[in-house]
Amino acid sequence: MNIFTTDFFFSIIRIATPILFATLAAVIGEKGGISNIGLEGIMMMSALFGSLGAYWSGNWFVGLLLAMAVGLAEALLMGFFAFNLKTDIILTGTAINMIGSGGTLFLVKIITGGASTTNLITKSLQIPSINIPGLKSIPVIGAVLSGHSLLTYLGFLFVFLTWVLLYKTPLGLNIRSVGENANAASSVGVSVMRIRYITIGIGGVLAGMGGAFMSMYYAMGWSQDMVAGRGFIALAAQSMGNGEPLGGMLAALVFGFAQALGIKVSATGVDSNLVAPIPYIVTILALVIFALNQRRKEKKRYATALK
Amino acid sequence: MSKKNSIKFTLIRGIAALAIALLVAFILIFVSAAGENFGEKLSNSIAALREMLVSPLFKKNGSFSSRNLSVVLAGTIPIMFTGLATCIMFSANQFNLGAEGGIMLGAFVTALVAVYWKLPGPLLMVVAVLAGGIAVALVMLIPAVLKAKLGVSEMVNSLMLNYVIMYLIGFLMNSYLADTSKGITQTYPFQENAMIPQLVENGSRLSWGFVVGLIIVVLCWFFMYRTKWGYGIRMTGLNQPFVMYSGMNVALIVILAQVLGGFLAGFGGGIEMLGRYNVYNWKALPGYGWTGITVAILAGNNPIYVPLAALFMSYLTQGCSLMSTNANVPAQMISIIQAVIFLLFAAKQFLAGYRQKLVVRSAQEERAALEKGGNK
Repeated sequence: MNIFTTDFFFSIIRIATPILFATLAAVIGEKGGISNIGLEGIMMMSALFGSLGAYWSGNWFVGLLLAMAVGLAEALLMGFFAFNLKTDIILTGTAINMIGSGGTLFLVKIITGGASTTNLITKSLQIPSINIPGLKSIPVIGAVLSGHSLLTYLGFLFVFLTWVLLYKTPLGLNIRSVGENANAASSVGVSVMRIRYITIGIGGVLAGMGGAFMSMYYAMGWSQDMVAGRGFIALAAQSMGNGEPLGGMLAALVFGFAQALGIKVSATGVDSNLVAPIPYIVTILALVIFALNQRRKEKKRYATALK
Repeated sequence: MSKKNSIKFTLIRGIAALAIALLVAFILIFVSAAGENFGEKLSNSIAALREMLVSPLFKKNGSFSSRNLSVVLAGTIPIMFTGLATCIMFSANQFNLGAEGGIMLGAFVTALVAVYWKLPGPLLMVVAVLAGGIAVALVMLIPAVLKAKLGVSEMVNSLMLNYVIMYLIGFLMNSYLADTSKGITQTYPFQENAMIPQLVENGSRLSWGFVVGLIIVVLCWFFMYRTKWGYGIRMTGLNQPFVMYSGMNVALIVILAQVLGGFLAGFGGGIEMLGRYNVYNWKALPGYGWTGITVAILAGNNPIYVPLAALFMSYLTQGCSLMSTNANVPAQMISIIQAVIFLLFAAKQFLAGYRQKLVVRSAQEERAALEKGGNK
């Protein structure tokens, strides 16, 4: 059986999209010195409100905006606890994840009057797919790259924009300087608090878009724990990508590949319980390989320095 | 700040955090309460809140129910263990969130021993629970060694392991271990001599595991505050360079903390399994690991306060579940309340202004006392 069809490569990109959004959020966060493990919870909450917003308004765009707004609000709430009340950022993230796991189910039950999922997204409320005219007609490449969700294209555009933001704008410089040494940044007049809020806020909006993708394109509605660790995988992708947007994107694609492969294998009748853990195992292995590689490079550098 | 004021501050801070959490709970209940108008909603909400706060211990007619109390105490067993596990790992600044998968794996391994290994008498029980603990300790070597030797985030790895554990148990159950004569996926029943005896025979599932838990609490406290290794773990959390320069092996301490945490989580899973069930049938992660983190935060990472914190969380969980059956407020509200309490307890600056005032006041009192002494 040939599994490496154009469909397969198409699915890698589709599966990588939500991870990519969360990875970019993690990349910007880490550059600013913030380890945001709450991305998972933010994605859950945004996924919920994205689907609800689209359903209430009858318009996918409103749903997407609501998902982004909810992501921003949760990120700022995290910021308030972490920066103003000096709660450990990891614990803050853990609390957001608790709310994202159980709290979302609570809200769904209240809002829908007892249901535990929302199958609210119909074809017309789904985030639209886009066929790119010229690209579409190219054989093979067209079938892989064309016809994705609007958010997928935005996600890959954001890889570039994130790089521009971090390296070509004054705000990016401030974010990096606060991440590198907050005291030094503060001493030259940068408002550390403001930059931190902006950093975590951008991450929240990005994670919100990833959440919207989950409930408004990947699946047709919200269900409990649907994000299934993608927010955590994004943290791994961030560190494997060496903290850079482009590297993070490649790492997200690796996870997309692992999961797409899993789906293919389970289609042959293998127990899905054996296939489902693949992305998580790949994450651990990838982190190890990355760390070993990193260590080897360092040793080499010392060796040449000593010569 | 004087000791008296320090205790006063800790108490007031705790009470304020709980009050805010209750306020949030009340707002959530109010939003979800049935009722045509404001007054009706309000009275329904008050009834629901009463259900949540009072019914875990009292019967409908207001009399104290010892059976309800034993249900609440039984609920502390698993979260006491995950709480202890988290205490030890967090004390060393190891943000290992693997107690969740750990308690599941421990329960599973213990269950397998209890079903298949033919051992005489209570030996089976002991071996089964220890096997659960050791299995998880070994699994926790993965994030621990990777952190200590390669600097890979133990947090991400432990989170990933939670998922891997859940799915692999699902696979083993489906493919090899399930009792096919039953409609649902569960193992064959445990051997009779594997079951942990009940402390009270009223169906509350309060087993001797509770007593074992309390003993382990004391042992953990002793280990953390009266032994060299416990000191090393706590110091690693407070000031890692200090530990390194004073000649202790930081890598070993980092590994020890996580392996011990894993052992406790797995051990707790075993105790919970043999004390409450007679077959293994967990399909998803049980959530005890997350509650365990809250328990550890409430206890300030000190094992000796873990039973109290576990009691509180068990009471709240029981309250929420009764409220959901009797007052129709979804039980998942617990996770929001839990998050609020958790955040406020962990917030260093929460009520910092008040703390400042207390510090100033006690300094002034001391000075006044000194001056008085000087005038004599």
